[in-house]
Amino acid sequence: MFNCLLIKITYNSRGLPVRSYRTITAHELMLGRGAECNVHLPDPRLSMHHAVIKLNEDGLPVVQALNGELELDGALVPGAILSYGTRVMVGPYELKVEPAPPDVNLAISLVLAHRLPDDFQDLKSRTHQPLAGASKFKRRLSMFLAAAIALIFLVLPLLQNIVPQIHGAMADLPFGFDRVWSPGRISTSHMHFGSQCFNCHKQPLQKVSDKACMSCHRDTGPHITNPKLQKSAFNAAHRSVGTTRCAECHEEHKAPHALAKQDNGMCVRCHGNIKAINSKTTLSNVHDFDSDHPEFKLTFKTGPNSYDIQRIPQSDKARLVEKSGLKFPHYQHTGKVQGPNGIWDVRELACTNCHMPEGKEMRFKPLSFKNNCVSCHAKELELGSKESRLIVPHGNEQNVFNMLKLYAPKQFSSYLNNLKNNGCAYCHEIKESKQGDAIPWRVTPLQINKDWFSKAQFNHGAHRTQQCASCHKVEESESSADVAIPDRKSCLQCHSGNKTKHKRIASNCMSCHNFHHAHDADVMNPSAKLDDNDVDVLLAMPKESNQ
Amino acid sequence: MQRSNIFDYKNYLYFKIAVVVILVAFAAYLIFEPAVGHYGGSFLGYGLGTVSALMVLWMAWYGVRKRRYRSGGSTQGWLSAHIYLGTAMTALVTLHSGFHYGINIHTLAYGLLLIVVISGFFGNYTYMIYPRQMSENMGEDSLDSLLLRIAEADKLARQIALVMPDAINNTVSRACRETSIGLGLIDQLRGYQPNCPSAQAVEDLTELGNELSPDQRKLYRELYTIMVRRLSLVKRARQDLMYRARLGIWLYLHVPFTIALLVAMTAHIIAVFVYW
Repeated sequence: MFNCLLIKITYNSRGLPVRSYRTITAHELMLGRGAECNVHLPDPRLSMHHAVIKLNEDGLPVVQALNGELELDGALVPGAILSYGTRVMVGPYELKVEPAPPDVNLAISLVLAHRLPDDFQDLKSRTHQPLAGASKFKRRLSMFLAAAIALIFLVLPLLQNIVPQIHGAMADLPFGFDRVWSPGRISTSHMHFGSQCFNCHKQPLQKVSDKACMSCHRDTGPHITNPKLQKSAFNAAHRSVGTTRCAECHEEHKAPHALAKQDNGMCVRCHGNIKAINSKTTLSNVHDFDSDHPEFKLTFKTGPNSYDIQRIPQSDKARLVEKSGLKFPHYQHTGKVQGPNGIWDVRELACTNCHMPEGKEMRFKPLSFKNNCVSCHAKELELGSKESRLIVPHGNEQNVFNMLKLYAPKQFSSYLNNLKNNGCAYCHEIKESKQGDAIPWRVTPLQINKDWFSKAQFNHGAHRTQQCASCHKVEESESSADVAIPDRKSCLQCHSGNKTKHKRIASNCMSCHNFHHAHDADVMNPSAKLDDNDVDVLLAMPKESNQ
Repeated sequence: MQRSNIFDYKNYLYFKIAVVVILVAFAAYLIFEPAVGHYGGSFLGYGLGTVSALMVLWMAWYGVRKRRYRSGGSTQGWLSAHIYLGTAMTALVTLHSGFHYGINIHTLAYGLLLIVVISGFFGNYTYMIYPRQMSENMGEDSLDSLLLRIAEADKLARQIALVMPDAINNTVSRACRETSIGLGLIDQLRGYQPNCPSAQAVEDLTELGNELSPDQRKLYRELYTIMVRRLSLVKRARQDLMYRARLGIWLYLHVPFTIALLVAMTAHIIAVFVYW
């Protein structure tokens, strides 16, 4: 049992402390919010039985925590000895040991140090504003985004163009700041240098000039091979086309599309009204293969040289005669035919037995007696009766005549006639010699056409799924003068013009034509090389042609 | 009769204009196709790009216009046009791109535009949906009155809990002390708070109620009712905050990305003409 003076300190409405005294005599003092505690402290922050004050074995008063927490000098403690001046926090209350009057063992004061906060204000402080700091955030985000984009996508690329030092420094790197301006993929062939924009875009604010292209494509010839055509057509063309930069037709940053423009736009700008450009031209106006493309003109050889040619429109049937020098009826050489070994020797002849395709584009191997005819036809002629048979080999007529003179001088003229009317003439055209010639007649030299469409390209490989006879009507042909090249109408059965029409394949200019044989230029006109002064004047008019 | 809103303004005037714009652009897109496919630099591409750029500027001007009370035209009409023509402009820009995308300023500008437009759509949606739900949620109350009622419940609950065992008292006072409303952006947007002390308290009280003496039972039931009512008040307050946050959040993106878009568009145009 011990006496304890309990001083409770409260604050009145003016904020002044009010002390109330009570003396308790007990074995122990129970502190807590429970009603049965002898020190009743009604605060929800305390436990029912928070702590107890009692005397320890040495008779000293101690405070011990029960269900609550005690705090001494800021540290949580299980208990503490209460001597004069000790301050212990019991929950929100401060317990302080006061000087004890003579008749009590212990004097303590209790003051509510931490008041329970006002519920509403407290809750309000824990209720956050919706989207607090939104305008500040928006402003900061705007500034950040604007600055970052302006720096990376505008300032750095521009600086690279304006400040030569930066430009020089970036030139050695794999790509520069202006890489972010690239509008699309570069074609494969330009990829190895294309990551540096300035390789082509030499001058800011200017379109890519031909000079940039020419720094690599030095050997490119003038795109219009014929110097006369250059001269007569191009000043006018320059006017109507507007610009004739390489890049106008060869558009970059469009991969995987082809680098050369495939549409008709540029072609039609001149050829749509070609008479306006050159009044003397024999060409007709073309807009579309389907609508107004003229009849095909076929190229006929007229002599041994490459320039000995004649172009005859397919509509001109009277002139459409091939003078090959051969007598070759196609109808006897297709399908089931009689072989050389009697009536049981029936052979099936297909087109490819003679016309053997060659290469990717399926051009054809040149026809020859040795490779094609001999498989069925005898390789020599027999003259004379059975007893005095004379065998004449296939070959030069001079050799044949010499042989006849040597082995059968008596029958020379009759044999000669024989050959002229029947032997050689069985296959070959015979040409009478002029007066005074050493040889009375000759075999006409062969002129077999190789390229009927010399101004266009026909790719047999692309048509390999078709039967030959669906385009080349040779089954009925009785004469080698017949031309079995399909006309425009038969092309139009499968092909249409610029647009797909009725399930026909869209076919534009570039499907069949090259731009003025651009890539044959150096072959056909080797003197016309480009030099720096030429560029940017429509693909280089050669100097000579201007004079 | 209900007043016309931004969507049916003047009998869907701007909706009709937007439809016509989109149809014309699509028709042009189908008719004028360059041989290399559509791209921004074709004649059609330049046309679409120019129109779109002007429209972007006009859309952005709405932000300025709306803060000026004296300029011409009703704000409602402007907003209606802003919404419908902004949507049409997105279609135009998509056609302008020719569906070519890459890692460059051009696609960046397009992406920023999409962010702006999609955030605008979301804003639109919120303004269509949430105001009604907000008033359904709040009824006659304001957020402050809800808070006041929560505080009242707090006081009452604490009073009762004073004579309850420690476990119950701790639970109640923890709920009162730690319940917060709209803590952080994410909680505001989703409208509820995981591990909410109030919900936890109700749950705990259910279990703790079993070990009480019969005379405490009555008080306990009272306390429990108070805590459940308090929880529903807290939930409503959070819900209200959610609506207000969602009504505002889209502007976080819409406005800053508009600024970014204007910069990117400038860079895009300059880039195209520096490297013709």
